[in-house]
Amino acid sequence: MLEQQLVNGLTLGVIYALIAVGYTMVYGVIELINFAHGEIYMLGAFFCVSFITVVGLPLWVAIPCAMICCALLGIAIDIFAYRPIRKAHRLAALITAIGMSIFLQNLAMVIWGSRPRAFPQEAVPAFFSEQAFAFSDVTITWLHLFIFGITFSMMIGLFLIISKTRVGTAMRALAQNRTCCQLMGINVNRVISFTFVLGSAMGAMAGILVALFYNTLYPTMGYVAGVKAFAAAVLGGIGSVPGAMFGGIVLGIAEALGAGYVSSLYRDGVAYAVLIAVIIFRPSGILGKALVDKA
Amino acid sequence: MKLKIALPILAAACLFPFLPFASEYALHVLTLVMVYMILAMGLNIVPGFCGLLDLGFVGFYGIGAYTAGLLTIHYGLSFWVIVPLAALNGALWGVLLGAPTLRLTGDYFAIVTFGFSELVVLFLTNEIWLTRGPLGLPGIDPVTIDLSFISKALNPAWDWYYMFDGETPYYFLAMLLVLAVYAILRRLEDSRLGRAWYAIREDPLAASSCGVNILNYKVIAFAISAGIGAVGGCFFARWTLFLSPDMFKFWESFLVLCMVVLGGLGNINGALIGATILVALGEVLRVVLPELGLPVETRFLFYGLIMILIMRFKPSGFLPRIAATGMDNPVIKDLKKRLDRERATA
Repeated sequence: MLEQQLVNGLTLGVIYALIAVGYTMVYGVIELINFAHGEIYMLGAFFCVSFITVVGLPLWVAIPCAMICCALLGIAIDIFAYRPIRKAHRLAALITAIGMSIFLQNLAMVIWGSRPRAFPQEAVPAFFSEQAFAFSDVTITWLHLFIFGITFSMMIGLFLIISKTRVGTAMRALAQNRTCCQLMGINVNRVISFTFVLGSAMGAMAGILVALFYNTLYPTMGYVAGVKAFAAAVLGGIGSVPGAMFGGIVLGIAEALGAGYVSSLYRDGVAYAVLIAVIIFRPSGILGKALVDKA
Repeated sequence: MKLKIALPILAAACLFPFLPFASEYALHVLTLVMVYMILAMGLNIVPGFCGLLDLGFVGFYGIGAYTAGLLTIHYGLSFWVIVPLAALNGALWGVLLGAPTLRLTGDYFAIVTFGFSELVVLFLTNEIWLTRGPLGLPGIDPVTIDLSFISKALNPAWDWYYMFDGETPYYFLAMLLVLAVYAILRRLEDSRLGRAWYAIREDPLAASSCGVNILNYKVIAFAISAGIGAVGGCFFARWTLFLSPDMFKFWESFLVLCMVVLGGLGNINGALIGATILVALGEVLRVVLPELGLPVETRFLFYGLIMILIMRFKPSGFLPRIAATGMDNPVIKDLKKRLDRERATA
């Protein structure tokens, strides 16, 4: 039982990590808690399902299409909502992000209806639900492996982009000092757009994976996932990409164990309690560096 | 607020229930506006005066409401006894949460307060023996004014007992609370405490070098804010006569925070304006959208869009706070005036 809980917790954890990375990258570059990120995640799942059911694409084509749509949407959100107020008070940007989140959530409700819907099973390969490995009483399905494989390869890809490419270097420089970057001739807006592209694409992927994992998707699913991912990002140290991955996995496991051993009613509560405890004893998150007060 | 602006507004507000077009609906909406005014003023203390992002305000609102509801149902206490009790309970939780966490800065503090408010909702949902969980808490008595112990002593035939019925008495009660909270905050703003808060917001390092005990002042701010939130919840419980955990979800924290920022962070009048605008916006959309042939369900779509646009064109809110430093600060203006007067007499 414990082992199965751990496997499920880890699966959820890597997905949280995938969303948390998007949060933390945007935060690192423009210091904005992008509450609309949870909605990108939700829209990723809905775009994917619509590509399958309406356009009739196979799953393997629908996933990248949904990711591209979300990446474009990420850029659009930045240009429409965040760019005009980049120099304003931090809380103004936060309120805009909240407004954007409400807007997108309700837009999804208008387009797809507010009822939960199932992932179209005919598009999902049958072997996903078959077991790949079994140790004593732990079952690992191909879907588990698929989720792990996709997330880890995306994480590695992200690492390579951030550490090896020119635009990755620019992102890291931007996180240090924006004015200095402008003086060095970096096109700041283009780098920020690129950050939104990466974050949104990964968020969309996470949404699709969760929809596959639970076989359900609904317009308000972005809220809880977004909040958990935000918590994961803070847990690992906001602004730090490895921190977000680590925080997501810790949160996922804490949640699974909490649900198994404390009380399933307090499933979400365990995650927050762990979070509060970690933050009190390690105020800048597990892998974070000290942050100056900017609220 | 200047008296020549405040008095006409107050007079109009007092007359409003007696006007022919004042429906129960209009009074209900206005009372709701005033509930949010109390909440916005309460929240304003933490992000506005101290510069800390508090995303868990709704937790204290919920604590106040359930304190009031449970005390009414189980002990039959009067509203006038419950208000201070709820405020104390809210403030107590404020201290319990604030004392260990207010050392944190920026977003770490924000996420801790957020976690707290989610835990409050989970507690209210799951501790069914106490709160009846998702079924909610019905059967809360309305507010009464019971002065029969005085009237009976004067004349046994008299009975000064009044039970609130309909929207009008609640409307005036809410107004009373708004005025009380407003007066308290106005006093605080210009007190030693308020100055310390401003100092902490503008430059924590400089404030602590000047001997301001930052943590203490932050905990006090947090406790007062929590207490006011609980008073708002207390009124809400005795007004709607029904509570459920859903009413205290995170969305409410967002909404109140939006009111504070939209009105003008750190400005008490701004909180009043922010509350009016956002509540009114929700109601106006409810009426206007069907007129335009759009379903009412699209209401929040426009709500979100309008919030984005307001922030786009008014990034510091409708009434930006007066700078704590600089020549437009009332304290400095006052000093300058005094100096000029002394020069003139010399």
